[in-house]
Amino acid sequence: MDAEGSALLVRRASRGVIHAATLSLEDEFHVLEAAAEAGVKVPRPVAYLGELGGREAFAMERVEGETIGRRIARNPPPGLDVQLADELAKIHAIPPERLPFLGSGDILERFEGELDSVGEPHPAIEYGLWWLREHRPPPLADVVTHGDFRIGNVVVSEGGLEYLLDWEFAHLSDPREDLAWPLVRAWRFGADDRRLGGVGEVAPYLERYAERTGRAVAEEELYWWEVLGNVKWATGCLTQCRRHLNGLDRSVEYAVLGRMAAEMEYELLDLIESR
Amino acid sequence: MSDRPTALELLEAVEEFLSSEMLATVDDQRMKFRTLVAINALGIARRELAADEPGLGEDEIRELARRIRAGDVPADAHAVLKEHVAAKLRISNPQYLERYE
Repeated sequence: MDAEGSALLVRRASRGVIHAATLSLEDEFHVLEAAAEAGVKVPRPVAYLGELGGREAFAMERVEGETIGRRIARNPPPGLDVQLADELAKIHAIPPERLPFLGSGDILERFEGELDSVGEPHPAIEYGLWWLREHRPPPLADVVTHGDFRIGNVVVSEGGLEYLLDWEFAHLSDPREDLAWPLVRAWRFGADDRRLGGVGEVAPYLERYAERTGRAVAEEELYWWEVLGNVKWATGCLTQCRRHLNGLDRSVEYAVLGRMAAEMEYELLDLIESR
Repeated sequence: MSDRPTALELLEAVEEFLSSEMLATVDDQRMKFRTLVAINALGIARRELAADEPGLGEDEIRELARRIRAGDVPADAHAVLKEHVAAKLRISNPQYLERYE
């Protein structure tokens, strides 16, 4: 409990990370503060605590609600599609100079590097990276991105979106990286027909995003980013699995992710074939 | 040559124990989820031991990955990869492929 009487949650650094560019907990706390200032629905940041027992930590408001993707996709609250666009618009309007530590960089080089760090050949992911290099669209100017904007990282109630969680992958990037990430099939949680995260359609989401940002993005433009999203999550599964294999964080859940990467490999091949 | 149960039969025995005896006694949602993940992991190992698909060899996979990275993509790469990944999925998650039918 804090002075205002609300329950707190202490978030601590984990052992090992999915992606090399993961923020420190101190920087993640600053991102959460900037998001709160910008009016994004986030748990109230309370204090950065420094190291607790050798691991960084910060305190934030403890929030209630549903985060399990399968349950949300089974019964999505009405309006969630446009609410997602509203939050994204607010995030993308945060001035980058407010968060000078956020990194950017060539996204394809980043995932080549991450795949190399796995030390196991994955020709299907290589094929995805090759296709992405061959079809690269002209970039939009970088904005502050959430970096893991999808169902599973939002708290919902019957009334819709309540909070956005998990800011550790925030970085500077093309806004379409965030826009397309919840479309990736893995984040539709079995409701494959509802292309936006298993909870809605893409058109109203993009329409609302354009209203709020003045940035008109065609559904067609998200296709390249959706292929990238599959490369990204396939690689993420492999690097997560290595946290188990290299002994950093032994867990049966991390272990099986190594075999789940094939699902995103199949999806990216199918997506590329669909054109 | 080992005595029975074979490796496959041992995996089946543990999988059956977890799903028909253990799971019902687990109340904690987090532990229930982890138990299901463990059952899934045993299923992957069981299907892999039982599989007899030839598929791409380790050297072929490595060579294909190297060529694609270098931009030297074989003309039949897409079809070869789709079959290669489908073979992996028949072991890791056979139901997944049904979503594409």
